[in-house]
Amino acid sequence: MTAPKGTTQLPPQLSTIAPEVDDMYMFIYWVAVVSFLLITGFMVYYVVKYRRREGMKAEPTGHSTLIELVWTLSPLILLAYLFHSGFSSFVKAAVPPRDAIEIRVTGMQWSWVFEHPNGAIQQNELIVPKGKPVKLIMSSSDVLHSFYIPAFRIKRDVVPGMYTTAWFEPTEETQEPLTLFCAEYCGAPRGISSGSLVDEPNSNHSTMIAAITVVSPEEYDRTVHQLFIESQKPPADCDGNDDPMACWGEKLYSSKGCVACHSTNPAVNQPGPSWALVWGETRAFEDGSSVVADENYILESIRQPQAKIVKGFGNVNMPPYGERNLPKAQVDAIIAYMKKLRQ
Amino acid sequence: MSTAAEATAAATADQVPNYLNHERSIKSWLFTVDHKRIGLMYLVATFAALLLGGFMALLVRTELMLPGKQWMSADTYNQVFTLHGAIMVFLFIIPAIPGGLGNFFLPIMLGAKDVAFPKLNLFSFYIYVIGSVLAIVAILSGHIDTGWTFYTPYSTRADNSVLWMTMAVFVLGFSSILTAVNFIATVHTMRAPGLTWKRLPLFVWGAYATSVVQILATPVLAITVLMLFVEKAFEIGIFDPSLGGDPILFQHFFWFYSHPAVYIMILPGMGIVNELIATFSRRAIFGYMFVAMSSIALGLLGFLVWGHHMFTSGMSEYSAMVFSALTMLVAIPSGVKIFNWLATLYGGSISLQSPMLYALAFIALFTIGGLTGLPLATLITDIHLHDTYFVVAHFHYVMVGGTVIAFLGGLHYWWPKMTGKMYSETLARIAFTLVFVGFNTTFLTQFVLGSQGMPRRYFDYQDQFQPLHMTSSFGAYILGLGIVLIVWMFVRSLLKGERAPENPWGSAGFEWMTTTPPDPHNFPVTPVIERGPYDYDLCTEEELYTGFRKDLEAKKA
Repeated sequence: MTAPKGTTQLPPQLSTIAPEVDDMYMFIYWVAVVSFLLITGFMVYYVVKYRRREGMKAEPTGHSTLIELVWTLSPLILLAYLFHSGFSSFVKAAVPPRDAIEIRVTGMQWSWVFEHPNGAIQQNELIVPKGKPVKLIMSSSDVLHSFYIPAFRIKRDVVPGMYTTAWFEPTEETQEPLTLFCAEYCGAPRGISSGSLVDEPNSNHSTMIAAITVVSPEEYDRTVHQLFIESQKPPADCDGNDDPMACWGEKLYSSKGCVACHSTNPAVNQPGPSWALVWGETRAFEDGSSVVADENYILESIRQPQAKIVKGFGNVNMPPYGERNLPKAQVDAIIAYMKKLRQ
Repeated sequence: MSTAAEATAAATADQVPNYLNHERSIKSWLFTVDHKRIGLMYLVATFAALLLGGFMALLVRTELMLPGKQWMSADTYNQVFTLHGAIMVFLFIIPAIPGGLGNFFLPIMLGAKDVAFPKLNLFSFYIYVIGSVLAIVAILSGHIDTGWTFYTPYSTRADNSVLWMTMAVFVLGFSSILTAVNFIATVHTMRAPGLTWKRLPLFVWGAYATSVVQILATPVLAITVLMLFVEKAFEIGIFDPSLGGDPILFQHFFWFYSHPAVYIMILPGMGIVNELIATFSRRAIFGYMFVAMSSIALGLLGFLVWGHHMFTSGMSEYSAMVFSALTMLVAIPSGVKIFNWLATLYGGSISLQSPMLYALAFIALFTIGGLTGLPLATLITDIHLHDTYFVVAHFHYVMVGGTVIAFLGGLHYWWPKMTGKMYSETLARIAFTLVFVGFNTTFLTQFVLGSQGMPRRYFDYQDQFQPLHMTSSFGAYILGLGIVLIVWMFVRSLLKGERAPENPWGSAGFEWMTTTPPDPHNFPVTPVIERGPYDYDLCTEEELYTGFRKDLEAKKA
């Protein structure tokens, strides 16, 4: 079986709504092409036919209210059709079926976090089952983002302070992962050296993308179960490491996106404080107080980043990472990694 | 004619006082209340903004030619495209036609000596200058990377330079409002005897409709900026969700101004196209009142459709339904204009001189801009196309293919009247070809990029999009070359252009009835209008080229 191909104009159709969107698009496309050819055709024809010549005068302009009314009112028929059928499909695309699988989506500068119904978390990659409707319940932890998968023809803004929803039903299993783009501009860190897809993935608006894989429903269930189990203990490739927890913490440091703002180089404090010299140090805060960085301090800084703001970082807004996003076991792993960084 | 005779003719012409030579000091320019001089100063300032914004566009296209980092970082790129948008929208396209060509020609077309409030006119020019300086200071001193839309909460979490920038936009808005008040008062009170509303040139109708929209819409922008300040200064939650505000509310406010602003940009351009088509077809505009009223209709409809920028924003589906239906209606007055222009060409005596090439290009490009609005107004297709390059291409077809092309056409058309010099028609045709080919190469490709799913405001992209991005960038260079050639052509015309006759195109328009360049008070005597500006059937060939001024001089004597 080969995956459906896209056309010159449109990406492959991989969701149940896609053919409907494309039919409408192609209808409008041909209406537009015909209208354009008629308008420019008449224009060119008149320009040639009535070109200025010796002894030829322009005909005086007459008036015809009938003609005016015809071309004022007749486009209404087409417009009413476009509006009506566009709205009908839009309603279909807006109302998810009752039996849809609910996946929670969090957009944050510049990563996507997905939470499956069983609590399994994925970041910047998402697997979904073929032939099952998936409802997305989305929110942002910082600025506006927009969830856009061209192959599914869906797009919905992800807004801080409220939920937005969208749904899709994939029709084909994917060989190559599909791309989820962020379609609402969300910036870049100041002074970033590059920000390209190759150099720094998930570092700014244009690289805030995630890989979407469509699998069979059975494989979906198996994988999300596996993901949940794995989220509670260090991954297999940390087995045999002298400090498996710190090894896991190091992996989480990249996979959870901490790396985007926190370096492990003591000299680089951009945009958040470096992790190199945190553990066991006395931390001075914006409000003048200070505390020694212990387990509770780090836990608090992850769960409620604004509770204690390190001096000089008053303008930085780190999103909070809750229990769902970063379970307790993973916080322990990150603490172990920070300890290791001090050794 | 012998050289000696030519020299004598030139000397005599120089002795005729006109608005350029009756006073020559720098002070006489800086403190002038002459609408023509103010119009020229606007033209120079806005054209400089066009060149600066265009340079930013070329930086963007150069970076996007190949995937990956070429020579600027994502952060720099974001600032550059923000500057491109903000400069083009606020410093060039909104003020260029009303402030420049409108100021110069609206009073002349009305047979008036000046606008109703000449000092206010100068004041509004200086407000424009102050707003521009504020904007440039904000740009140079700060870090403005929000896009020209300044969406919250991204814009309010950045530093205060964004507030300075929105402050600049606020000040520029005042300049627009004052010009608009002036135009409305002038049209109502200063029309020459015999110039009834049904004889108003359609450029005046366009400028009038624009002025109404500016007065009604711009205050909303001011309110929005004020609320941004209040939020920042007193931490009162209006737009920022972390303070209890609603970021979608900002989008409602922003587009309540910025969508009507689109009509502020396009209506004067359509006005110019009417003048060009009538002049170069030697025929009255077909359906004059329908065309005039379609400008008013567009201006009013423009207030009811802002929500079509927000179909994916999280706004309710029912709001989306209403905005989709209302947006469809915009096609009606737009279509009325196109059809009436075609009907005007029918049976005309059409000359393809350079201004007319721009007018015909406008019809073709604005048609594409309008038709590609259909899949954006249709809800289900907009979901896929929103915030992609399809939208970028669509609004560039309307703003550049429409307004900028009309602006350039108007500049060519009125250049002899404004400067008293002709330009090289050959160079003008070459430049037009470059602009037309370059523009279409740049933006036709972007429709396909967008429908394929390439989001806008992206610093980097996947390899599949590369060939189209490369083509688009080459188109941008050709377009840039065309603009540079136009600048050179006009400079060359100023330095060694032939003296322009009074009415080089043989137009029946009122502005061609005065001397070239115009008298300091526009007309030696107030003209009495006995026919409409497009009544070619009431004029003989001789009258078109030479008749009217003699008539006026006779009255003077």
